[in-house]
Amino acid sequence: MILTNLEIISFNIAFTLSTLSTAGYLSSLLVKRVKLAKISTWILAFAFGSLTVNLLFALINSSVLINPGSRDFLSLCAWSVCAVYLALQFKTKTRVLGAFISPFILLFMIAAAGEASGKSLLPQNLQNWLTTMHLFCVIMGEALFVIASCAGLMFIMQNSLLKNKKLSRTSRLLPSLSDLDRINHICLLGGFPVLSLGIIAGAVFAGISWQSGWLTDPKVIWTFAGWVIYGFLLHQRLAIGWKGYRMAVFSGVAFVFLLLSYGSVRLCFSTLHNFI
Amino acid sequence: MIVLTGLNHKTASVAVREKIFAGCQEKKDLLPSLLAINGMEEVLYLSTCNRVEIIASVAEDSDALKDVKDFLAQNGGLNQSEAADRFYEYRGEEAVRHIFRVASSLDSMVMGEAQILGQVKEAYREALEKYATGVVLNRLMHCSFRTAKRVRSETGIAVNPVSVSHAAVELAKKIFGSLEGKIILLIGAGEMAELTGQQLIERGAQSIIIANRSLVQAELLAEKFHGEAALLDTLEKKLIEADIVISSTGSTGFIVTANMLKKIHHQRKNRLLFLIDIAVPRDIEPETSELENVYLYNIDNLQDIVDENMHVRKKEAIKAEIIIDEEVARFVNWQKELESVPTIISLRNKAEEIVQAEMEKAAGWLGSLTKENQEKVEILVNSIVNKVLHSPVTVLKEESSEFSSRDIVAAVRRLFRLD
Repeated sequence: MILTNLEIISFNIAFTLSTLSTAGYLSSLLVKRVKLAKISTWILAFAFGSLTVNLLFALINSSVLINPGSRDFLSLCAWSVCAVYLALQFKTKTRVLGAFISPFILLFMIAAAGEASGKSLLPQNLQNWLTTMHLFCVIMGEALFVIASCAGLMFIMQNSLLKNKKLSRTSRLLPSLSDLDRINHICLLGGFPVLSLGIIAGAVFAGISWQSGWLTDPKVIWTFAGWVIYGFLLHQRLAIGWKGYRMAVFSGVAFVFLLLSYGSVRLCFSTLHNFI
Repeated sequence: MIVLTGLNHKTASVAVREKIFAGCQEKKDLLPSLLAINGMEEVLYLSTCNRVEIIASVAEDSDALKDVKDFLAQNGGLNQSEAADRFYEYRGEEAVRHIFRVASSLDSMVMGEAQILGQVKEAYREALEKYATGVVLNRLMHCSFRTAKRVRSETGIAVNPVSVSHAAVELAKKIFGSLEGKIILLIGAGEMAELTGQQLIERGAQSIIIANRSLVQAELLAEKFHGEAALLDTLEKKLIEADIVISSTGSTGFIVTANMLKKIHHQRKNRLLFLIDIAVPRDIEPETSELENVYLYNIDNLQDIVDENMHVRKKEAIKAEIIIDEEVARFVNWQKELESVPTIISLRNKAEEIVQAEMEKAAGWLGSLTKENQEKVEILVNSIVNKVLHSPVTVLKEESSEFSSRDIVAAVRRLFRLD
């Protein structure tokens, strides 16, 4: 009972702190103060700590590792994005990037807050380690692509300001072009193998469990198309030497595709992934 | 009373400033000579390339300020009428405001520059070493340092660069983040290009290549930067290596063209390229700016950034003046408190507060006494406190008419933590 209470308290703290940090990051963009973004990064770091505690309690309370589709799972997604972003901070110190990423973390947290802890959203027959791995890797991979695209978007903004010979407050607030390009590179490089692993895990499970029919599932087709697009981008970067502006623009296009695919699948099609 | 006199870039030409500066530098016993002036209590001598100023604490109704001005004029070889036009003087609150503005770089030629605070600190250090300062100037200088620090941290007066070379460095940082490992290519050997190159190297750029029509001149400059010299004929090859290009030749045509950059695009592996064209007529074709990952700035673009930054600094100066007003008021208050009466009152109040607090603490066991005994204890405590305070209060009253009372007042305020 005490452990359950502590789990709820730590989640609530993490939720409040991530809301505060998102508000801080967005305000830093509005008032153009890096200091506010720095404070928000610290708040997010505390939210991350609190979420880590929450997940540890969830782990102790729950009989299975992490129940796919439960609050714990969504918390884990928020935790993962947070971990990737904070790790990037050590490398590049581009705190304003948080204004683009923290809303995604908050979205995961809001989704998590709507679910009961420990209760699985997945049908019983889909609860196994392959689906857990599939879900986690796919979400992590796509989260990394989201960060890559956010960096690309900021690159386009900074590029346009510098090309127009404007060293405005916005330009001073945004990270340097090189840093943004590096974030894009790191996230593509990390996101692609993780998403690949997720897709493979899903395919293996579907092959064993569903045997046929899953290959034509709209969600599978769209996800595969997204994977191909990001694979293409990674190829162009590593093999052809795309850098900077072109990479940023194509990352933006890929991101729009990702959003469209998610939206259209959710709204227009009935798929095997309807439970998510 | 605090007084200040001197001249600066606004009131005197560099030739006059030089004369005064040289005159003062030659005088080895400058501070002792100033201290010897009738009515002089404390003194500090500040000299930079843009100003020579004497800040002093003098006895009220003395002619010390006039004597200081004559002293400076005499040392600089100026006659009285020349001196009258060029020397400014401030008294009391205005003198305090002036030194706060100077330390905060609001009175500097380039507003917001950082050097002046170091120079003021150095002047104070010298005065301290010669025992030329006392209670008033020590406090004044510490307040001026605090004011300058507040102005720098609470306003954006020193945030944006206001020189072309600094603006170029800031842009380079916005493009590359860190300048570590970056290669700079200087085309031509102009002074401004050299200065910008120097600043980029100081901020971590890896190496410098100097391409010039005359290899001898290029080698001379390359030696200075420990860089590489090259002829202009090899420019295309050198552009492949470069991350930052600074061009300042006297050529009438374009030296770096869009076609040239398109040709080496693949060899450069699409790396970001920052082009700075400070030549007039321009050396770099404007169309290069349209190429992907290429950022071109000419001298006008850089000057526009500098002008905009200067404008921002002027706006920030308004905020700085408010901070200075606050600090001047604070200092003037402290000065007033140096008179003995407010200190005696503060001392008595403090003693009373202590008695009250202790009586409240002892209320538990005092309550067990009869009312009569309680009153006796109270009388006893007050009597002890009055006896303890009697001597300091008497000394403060006795010395209040003397100048030395300020030292005593300052000491009492410090001993009893009255500030």
